[in-house]
Amino acid sequence: MLALDYALAGLGLGAIAALSGVGVLLTYRLTGVFNMAHGAIAMIAAYLFWQCTAGWGLPVWLAALLVLAVASPGLGMLLERFVFRPLQRRFATPAESLVATIGLLVLLLGVAYVVWGPQTRHPAALVPENVVQWGSLTLHVDAFTDLGIVIAGTLALGIVLRLTALGTQIRAVVDRRDLAELSGVDADRVSAIGWSIGCVFASLTGILLAAQISLNPFGLTLLVLETFAIPVLAGLRSIPIAIATGIALGIAQSEMNLWSPANASLSSIWDALHANLPVVLLLVVLLVRNRLAEGGGDAGSATTFARRRAGAASNRRLAVQYALAAGAMILPLTFNSVHLRQAQEIPALGIIFVSIVAVTGYSGQISLGQAGYAGLGALFFAKASGGTPQIIALLVAALAAGVVGFATGYPAIRRRGLFLALTTFAVGAFVSRFVFAQPYFTNDVEVNRPSFFGLSLQGDRAFYLFELALLAFAFLVMFNLRNGALGRSLIAIRDSEDGARSVGVDVRVLKVLIFTVSAMLAGLGGALLAQQAQAFDPTAFDPLEASLPWFAVVVVFGADSAVAAVIGAGFLVLVNALTGQAGAYLIPIGLLAAFLGRLPGGAAELGRRTVDWLMTPTALMRRYTAAVPPSRPPLVLSDRGRLALARVRREQPASPAEGSARP
Amino acid sequence: MSGGRLEGIDLVKRFGGLTAVDEVTVHTAPSEVTALIGPNGAGKTTLFQCLTGVERPDSGRVLLDGTDITRRSPDARARLGIGRTFQRLAVFATMTVADNLGVGAENRNSAPTLVRTGQLLLGILGFPVVDEKRHQRRVDEVIELLGLREVRDAPAGSLPTGTLRLVELGRALCHDPQVLLLDEPASGLDTTETRQLQRVLRDVTGSGVAVLLVEHDVDLVFDVADRVYAMAEGKLIAAGTVDEVRTHPAVLEAYLS
Repeated sequence: MLALDYALAGLGLGAIAALSGVGVLLTYRLTGVFNMAHGAIAMIAAYLFWQCTAGWGLPVWLAALLVLAVASPGLGMLLERFVFRPLQRRFATPAESLVATIGLLVLLLGVAYVVWGPQTRHPAALVPENVVQWGSLTLHVDAFTDLGIVIAGTLALGIVLRLTALGTQIRAVVDRRDLAELSGVDADRVSAIGWSIGCVFASLTGILLAAQISLNPFGLTLLVLETFAIPVLAGLRSIPIAIATGIALGIAQSEMNLWSPANASLSSIWDALHANLPVVLLLVVLLVRNRLAEGGGDAGSATTFARRRAGAASNRRLAVQYALAAGAMILPLTFNSVHLRQAQEIPALGIIFVSIVAVTGYSGQISLGQAGYAGLGALFFAKASGGTPQIIALLVAALAAGVVGFATGYPAIRRRGLFLALTTFAVGAFVSRFVFAQPYFTNDVEVNRPSFFGLSLQGDRAFYLFELALLAFAFLVMFNLRNGALGRSLIAIRDSEDGARSVGVDVRVLKVLIFTVSAMLAGLGGALLAQQAQAFDPTAFDPLEASLPWFAVVVVFGADSAVAAVIGAGFLVLVNALTGQAGAYLIPIGLLAAFLGRLPGGAAELGRRTVDWLMTPTALMRRYTAAVPPSRPPLVLSDRGRLALARVRREQPASPAEGSARP
Repeated sequence: MSGGRLEGIDLVKRFGGLTAVDEVTVHTAPSEVTALIGPNGAGKTTLFQCLTGVERPDSGRVLLDGTDITRRSPDARARLGIGRTFQRLAVFATMTVADNLGVGAENRNSAPTLVRTGQLLLGILGFPVVDEKRHQRRVDEVIELLGLREVRDAPAGSLPTGTLRLVELGRALCHDPQVLLLDEPASGLDTTETRQLQRVLRDVTGSGVAVLLVEHDVDLVFDVADRVYAMAEGKLIAAGTVDEVRTHPAVLEAYLS
């Protein structure tokens, strides 16, 4: 039975959840972009608000005015001008826009982390707490104020969009930007307005939410990401459904306080459900819905940021690449023990990054939950290594991750683009919340470095060599995934699923397989990461702190190059080591990912182009010699041809310019 | 090569209130070019999609040499020997022409799913499960047949539409199909390329393949087809030899009105 007082208590958070979901949905409707950075914008706004009030001592109303009426629209315009306008100008695919928003998310996380630090802040409340006792009921007036703000804001916007030309213009621009421009719509201005409105909604969410929960870079952002269930449930269309869902979510979560199972283990599951209701809803909604009505076409596959052609790299160039990479990987063996320990993260992370290349670069499926598989690998290795031989424990780890990968790959058969990206993210978040965050799984987990056949890998050098051996194995798998018939089939799926099906490529089996193999590799990498740290750290496998930034790193360095992925891992470790801050790498990676539209193919493509440029003289010579045929076959003319030639010669006697010869 | 009789029996496909294909029965025959003509909106493409498995018919059956394949997926049908091309091109843009054809050659494998999955797993570990040399020979043959030698190693994305139609045709041919379904293969081709296409079609049917052609270019159809089906508004209005269909009053009416 619903209890009224619990329902009222849940109203406040429900209203904010609704606001958050409506913001994501509105941004999508107004700009055609599903903004993964919505939560990060909310978080930055909350920090700005905190800075204005607690930092500079401004009054709350002034701070709110500054953030909501100046900073947020400004940010929206900046985003439109510098990130999304260039993408839309060259008809970038929705997948590219999605990656740009992930880049933005990573960038903003990095900025908050570096500027304000990881510690938790408690900003002032925009709507002060106001409790009225009414008979036996406790009324939270502030919750009603929040709700009023949400409904009034959305209604006002809806009326403006319905009654003015702007609404039509926005729909036109989102639908067909080029046609809208041809009919005289200033598409840039219209998109800028769309982005500004989206940012204001995000900021309001952030400020209201920060007062309810505390504020730190990752926590608030993740909370907003989890409300993605709301726009998805509303089919990315209906605002009233979104508001209703948000409020229902808040009330349901509050009502769950009423009841608890007596059984202790059931009770802990219930508590986890209670605390993570949005994540559960997100996953369930994504698995149940079999289609998202995506405006402006399907987000498609990730072809656009994986540029390498099959068989384009010559064997010699590959050999040089591998030799250089192998040389660089051996180098850390000469380091002192502190640096060697830092370098040990590179092969472990490298294997995880390579697993992202397998699924995203080679077969074009966006996977945002890779840290989930890695964490499962780490956890299962720790659990299994107690009683069994280490190598079997490692196998168990990979298999456990593979099983979840298989389970994710199965729905991936029918899902593409944005829908698939969200599903993989939801799986990662689900695993993180229901496995890594549960003491039942992670209490007294001990991770030891393995030993094989009496050969101990306790020493840092020995362990590093062991990691390199596994990395080499990962490369072998990647080589086989890239080359030969298998590689061609995967790229065929990436380039054109219909085309691949038409010649009998079993798209379903291959998609599931690539997800499974990728998850197994990630699990292996995760197990190594835990062995390196000799501990299981759940935050190392967080969907927000790990999955999304890792994805951004791989895309920035070149989603279709395994070597580039390991270089990316090296970059991450190096920046962390140099700055001594775990979040510092987020800024350059986020910047590059947000502007990836200007460099499709990432750093790997840049490297390839540079090598091509350096090789130009040789290549030109080769092409020149190839272009001059040794002997030309004689020209054979038919009777008609000879006649025509004779006529041409008669009419135009040896004159270069046509027409001038005529009298 | 035996077989090549693809049958659609009493096929019906509705989209909302519109009946795009209404009780249509067609079949192909080995060594024959069967053509499907009709004005825009006649339901040709929908019928084609039902035969290739992209659309599932609301009622009716699709048979390949007597086996019911109505519920098979497009890729399963392809593995059984149905090749096709697309009206809106679906080439693998980042791959070379030779690799495009290679994908066609390498996936003609009608073993059960479990066996194929096992082969894929072995492939991941590096065991040579696909006889690439043999497939390469087939690719080279088809490249010669279609006159694609010049562009063999060019990425498909850089080539003009006319060439890509030939690449798609080559991809389907490498697949050694029993039945070849061509969706408007001549659109975007110039006269030389169209003549090349006619020559290839004759070669292909000469080797026993059944061809089904959906085409707007009536001249091409009347040149190469052995049998013609004419559709209008979802219904089959005429069937028979070229001459029979060309002079059929219903066809004349559909094309003139």
